[in-house]
Amino acid sequence: MAEVEQATVSVRVARSDAGAETTFEVERFEPMTVLDLLLAIQREQDLSIAFRFSCRVGMCGTCTVRVDGRAALACTTPVERDVRDVQLEPMAGLPVVRDLIVDMAPFWDEWARVTPYLVPRAGLDEPAVIEPDSEERRRIDPSLDCITCGACYSSCGVSASGRDFLGPAALTRAMVLVADSRDAARDERLRAVGQSDGVDRCRYIYGCSAVCPKGLDPAGAIRALRRWRLGGGP
Amino acid sequence: MAMAAFETIDTDVAVIGSGGAGLMCVLHAAAADPSLDITVVSKGAVGRSGCTRMVQGGFNAALDPDDSPELHFDDTLKGGAYLNDQELAWTLVCDAPKVISELETVAGCFFDRRPDGRIFQKPFAGQSFDRTVHRGDLTGIEIMGRLRDQMFRLGPRELEDARALDLILDSSGELAGVSVLDVRTGAVALLRARVVVLATGGAATMYRIAAPAREKTGDGVAMCMRAGLELRDMEMLQFHPTGLLAGESRLTGAVLEEGLRGAGAYLRNAEGERYMERYDPERMERSTRDVVSRAGYLEIMEGRGTPEGGVLIDISHLGIEEVERRFPGMVQRTRQIGADLARGPVPVSPTAHFHMGGAIIDRDCQTSIAGLLVAGEDAGGTHGANRLGGNGVAESTVFGARAGDRAAVIARERDLREPDHGQLGRSVERAFAPLGRDSGASPFELTRALKEVMWDSCGVVRDGERLRAAAETIDDLAERVRTVAVPGPAEVNYAWQEALDVRNQLDVARAVVVSALSREESRGAHHRSDFPERDDERWLRYVVVGLDSDGELQSSSRPVALERRRLASKA
Repeated sequence: MAEVEQATVSVRVARSDAGAETTFEVERFEPMTVLDLLLAIQREQDLSIAFRFSCRVGMCGTCTVRVDGRAALACTTPVERDVRDVQLEPMAGLPVVRDLIVDMAPFWDEWARVTPYLVPRAGLDEPAVIEPDSEERRRIDPSLDCITCGACYSSCGVSASGRDFLGPAALTRAMVLVADSRDAARDERLRAVGQSDGVDRCRYIYGCSAVCPKGLDPAGAIRALRRWRLGGGP
Repeated sequence: MAMAAFETIDTDVAVIGSGGAGLMCVLHAAAADPSLDITVVSKGAVGRSGCTRMVQGGFNAALDPDDSPELHFDDTLKGGAYLNDQELAWTLVCDAPKVISELETVAGCFFDRRPDGRIFQKPFAGQSFDRTVHRGDLTGIEIMGRLRDQMFRLGPRELEDARALDLILDSSGELAGVSVLDVRTGAVALLRARVVVLATGGAATMYRIAAPAREKTGDGVAMCMRAGLELRDMEMLQFHPTGLLAGESRLTGAVLEEGLRGAGAYLRNAEGERYMERYDPERMERSTRDVVSRAGYLEIMEGRGTPEGGVLIDISHLGIEEVERRFPGMVQRTRQIGADLARGPVPVSPTAHFHMGGAIIDRDCQTSIAGLLVAGEDAGGTHGANRLGGNGVAESTVFGARAGDRAAVIARERDLREPDHGQLGRSVERAFAPLGRDSGASPFELTRALKEVMWDSCGVVRDGERLRAAAETIDDLAERVRTVAVPGPAEVNYAWQEALDVRNQLDVARAVVVSALSREESRGAHHRSDFPERDDERWLRYVVVGLDSDGELQSSSRPVALERRRLASKA
């Protein structure tokens, strides 16, 4: 298919105030990201548009929005040359503060419920000696680097619909800690994820794993927890 | 605009900033005294703002029995061209191993391991030993993610999306607290505190091409200045040699990591020449950040740059697979702009990266104002004239931890004070003024103008004439910032927040320019084309600037105390 280069992009933005402008024609430049679209709108067309970002290189995880319905980091989502229209909405399932900014409190409430911090086992006084190719690290390493951006939450049919569910990000964090031999709270965590709002709520829609901007696999983490819950651990 | 009624929050320790320094401070203050009431004030999301989060490289710490704090210290002084505050540098290298251990055993970080299961340390530019601890090229996410998790254990009061406006004193000039603006609601609060810790990060965003996160607008340093504190080394602003060039995109300035040059990447100008041959034939591309940045800048200025205004970094000779395997994050970053690091050259430019200068502190982060501590990039002295890669996150966490320890002690000794309400009123009035005006300058225009003048006139290479012109331009911009107008409301108004950011950036920019004018030599990151040589006879001194009682910026200089190391023979 021949690429047709567009001179402008038509951006539709979900706004909080009735009467606020929702459609913007933005002059395009190369290269351009969804974050660049928003910054151009703010600078040149509507000072009042509200969105969040910090690092602009996919590390802070604060600029998540739905781009044409799919949760993504605005800063790492390119606006391809042939794109004519882009639709931007806030993440699903979280209260909107204004325009594209959401209140992440429900996400963090779930995160807090899995005891997200290491509970150091007795005698952990210096960095543990753990070989990098050990089974433990092979289990954990691919699930680190979560930037708590909420894309998985927004894409989860259960979390985003307001059902009582620990959710993909918090369960991934729980899996990492359950597998960590330095941690002393394995049993409590396995009990927590086995409650009615835990792993059994997952419907394996795989929305979480499909959208994770860091390429993590929350659905895989949830499957692991389901197995371990019966055997008492990995 | 009339000042709204405001809430008063009383706390023992107010921590301004939620990056590495801020959250380490909370961790330590809470560990020292679990009964403390601690409040974190964060302009953006807690634990997800600022630059610790963005650390790719790693954390320098002398862990190996064959390494030592002495060697790390020598490297740090040499890197800093002996301008460092030696007490601070010594504290950094002595505490760094303890902090690595604490991050692993208390916070739950897990850094990369050697095959035998012990912590792996990689080589980094300017260091005599392989001492950089890291987790892949996402070290910052591991550290900040785990520190953020600790907040769920400790439960400090979190004022998220809250901007600290000014330090507020009592009628006798003692520190009483901080005025705070809630970005979401537009409401103002007075945070009364026994101790205030400033840990907001630097101001390198004031350059057209810049690497840091958006929050880093010099808020802490500007607050210190307005409260009458002295600042040191403000002319010392580090440029990283390989910032991405992506046109108008916000991606411009994002760092392509140092490891590329370490792994053998070439730098070429538009004529295809490996120009480092002319600047540092021995070390070539592996020379230090200051030298490589300056070389790239001069190539571009002398017309040998690419059409994008850059030079080219090329590592494709290692082969596609090798580059993809070793630098996946960097390859992805370049593909995002339509280039491909694995397959060919990518345009880069020096990018403003880190501010070595800042508030004058002692080894416990104390300032000349009782009850006010400063930690991390807001403070100056540790790095001298140039920071080594891997010493940044070390500084944030080491001094954040020390600030927490000290805050716990001071909080037991200091009472809460009654703020001077006149001063509080002026702080709030000044912040709200842009919302009350019908017409005036746009904050985004002012930011852009500041970035241009700093880049063109106070950048990689400076001279007296352009610096004087820059000082005038900054004065003009400071006039215009007093007339900036932003349409309401006060709730979630990021144009207004930009206006408050640029005001702080202008205060800091003025200090940078005045300090740069005053240092008539070249040292580390500061290069004057009219004084191109390092002059140890006259300039083993640090520049100090501060506002006098009339609000005029005064500068002076003081000799570096060479209490631990005399000047080694010049490298």
